[in-house]
Amino acid sequence: MRNLFPPEDLARDDRFVRVPAEARIEDPRSNGASNPRSARLKPSQRGGPDGARSMMHGIFVGEIQALEGAGRTCWDFEAGSDEYQVPFELKLDMARQCWDESRHVEISIKLSEHMGTEIGEFGESAFLYRAACNPDPILRLTGVNRALEGLAIDVFNSMREFGKIAGDPVLTFCEDWMLADEVTHVKMGSDWLRKITANDPERRTRALEFQRVVDKLFSFNGLRGDDEDSPVRLARRFRELAGFDDEEIDAIAADALEAKNETASVESVGASA
Amino acid sequence: MADPKKPRAAFAPWDRRQLPGSFDVEESARRVGNYKWIEMRLFEVLGGWVATVPELDVKMRLGSHCYHHAWHAELWHKRLPELREMNPERLTEPPNDEMVAFVDAMTEPEAAEQTIEKLVGVYRVLIPHKIAAYTYHRNNTSEITDAPTIRSIDFILQDEYADWRDGEMMLQSIITTPEEVDRAAARQAELEKLMVKAGGITGPGTIGDPYDIPEQ
Amino acid sequence: MITVTPEEFTMVEFDHGTILALVTEVAETVGHDASVDITVEIDQDIPLIGNELRGIDPVEIFVEGGAFEDPKRIRQFQPEAARTIVGRLLLMAADRRSEDFGEVPPNEEISLLVATAWNTYVVGRLDRLGFRSQRQRRLYNFRNRHGFTDTGDAAFDRLWTAESLTWAEIVSLSDDAAAARPEAAV
Repeated sequence: MRNLFPPEDLARDDRFVRVPAEARIEDPRSNGASNPRSARLKPSQRGGPDGARSMMHGIFVGEIQALEGAGRTCWDFEAGSDEYQVPFELKLDMARQCWDESRHVEISIKLSEHMGTEIGEFGESAFLYRAACNPDPILRLTGVNRALEGLAIDVFNSMREFGKIAGDPVLTFCEDWMLADEVTHVKMGSDWLRKITANDPERRTRALEFQRVVDKLFSFNGLRGDDEDSPVRLARRFRELAGFDDEEIDAIAADALEAKNETASVESVGASA
Repeated sequence: MADPKKPRAAFAPWDRRQLPGSFDVEESARRVGNYKWIEMRLFEVLGGWVATVPELDVKMRLGSHCYHHAWHAELWHKRLPELREMNPERLTEPPNDEMVAFVDAMTEPEAAEQTIEKLVGVYRVLIPHKIAAYTYHRNNTSEITDAPTIRSIDFILQDEYADWRDGEMMLQSIITTPEEVDRAAARQAELEKLMVKAGGITGPGTIGDPYDIPEQ
Repeated sequence: MITVTPEEFTMVEFDHGTILALVTEVAETVGHDASVDITVEIDQDIPLIGNELRGIDPVEIFVEGGAFEDPKRIRQFQPEAARTIVGRLLLMAADRRSEDFGEVPPNEEISLLVATAWNTYVVGRLDRLGFRSQRQRRLYNFRNRHGFTDTGDAAFDRLWTAESLTWAEIVSLSDDAAAARPEAAV
């Protein structure tokens, strides 16, 4: 088996359909904004429950890709101390993450049944796994465990709130448990970034830059934000638990706001066309 | 209540553990190093395969099993310094080149259509051999001096039995035609031959030699 | 007569003839009164899933393009979704025209809870006609509005399996379910 398994080859059964990134970009209805949702998801909205179903399916396929990404990190890098090797203990952490993500896939399937969603009901994009393909292990870890798993903290927290408001005990219970695991994964990323780059500030800078690029890509055109009405709200408290400092969280909030403003300006141009 | 000062047997009548064992510290450490090496190769490939198998239940199961074997590797990593090997990496090695050839062959399949080949390698060849190696070690080492190794093996064997059963169930559910039976059998034979060449998980003598009959 | 607009789709890959044939088949399957004309207006610019009944004689159906779109394939038509939406709105139109059903307020005066209860009643009937109904999805929707309670689930079952309810009965089932929500008791 080769190293660095490409996103195009991720194996799926016939229920899943991959939506190429170009299809979203070239959709003339979107004006470049891939998701038209612009307010916090609430059960009381007309499309609230269906929006939650769609988001839950996105989480489900995201968990599959997170599982695949952690698994590939176990395989792609040998244990050792060279630049393209990783400490033995880091590999153990990735194996542990594999188990966690497997459980998350299981939880997501049970939750989808509860919400009336079929496996593969919505299209899948391989955005998330793409970040897990970086050939530099520390950049990969930073992009996945700090940017994407950080996003997962925000998403799970938002979905948990949705469940609480709806009085849905199943959704609230599941999101609460998955949220706990995500905090652990982000903390893994924070701890390894600090350890491995302790004597290599240049590499740390590159890793943090990559994290920022991934963070920006996943700001969903402003879907994530720091204000109360954001569809996916930055979960500051949980991010702190996971090793983010205030300055880092503020930077993510600022990038998200910038993405939101850019989207608003694109939409307004589109509306006047 | 009996008099607490009254002398009692140090080994209670129900405690029949024996002091003698087949392995000295060096041999035990060598075997433990081989165990760690094979557990690492196994968790790595299970993790790598997750992205390559389309069957959703198999994908999730490989993700869970990946951690089991990583944990086993961790147990052996921690045991090595207790066996006087302060540099665990030194003994983290295969018993011989034939074992490397076995692992290379076992980890070779990648295509989405090769789930049978992947699962047969792990669940019909490697894990049964691991169970044999661990069982031999558990039953032949000193029950008193090497108790920490025995404790780890007991935990590990629980995982191995459960994972073996999981893997066999997955295989039986995937193998549904005579052609697939042939594929599985051919794959098992191919890998079993390589394993025989290697002499087992820790090389020749992995499970002792039943033909070596002590003279009366 | 059945009319579908627009005649040509440029933003999505829908086919006018396919949709016209689908609406014709659905009208026949749900027993639509052939003397009542049907118009279906699709706003192909909007990738959302909104849809509503804007008139009952003639029947005026409005849908946002996303409602007929395959959630797996961007801009592609999904016949199953379109069948259920058209069938649902045609049955609602029939309910509104029926004297036995009783007076139904205008759409904007119907609460989200009652609208969900009516939807449940209509889709349950479609399910028995062989349409794709996604029962668990409808139950989840109903629970989000009426609470995750045994009383709510019993109301859902009654709505889903009923063949002939009146507007007043639907409102009553919805009200009773909502009253059983834990927060309603506080």
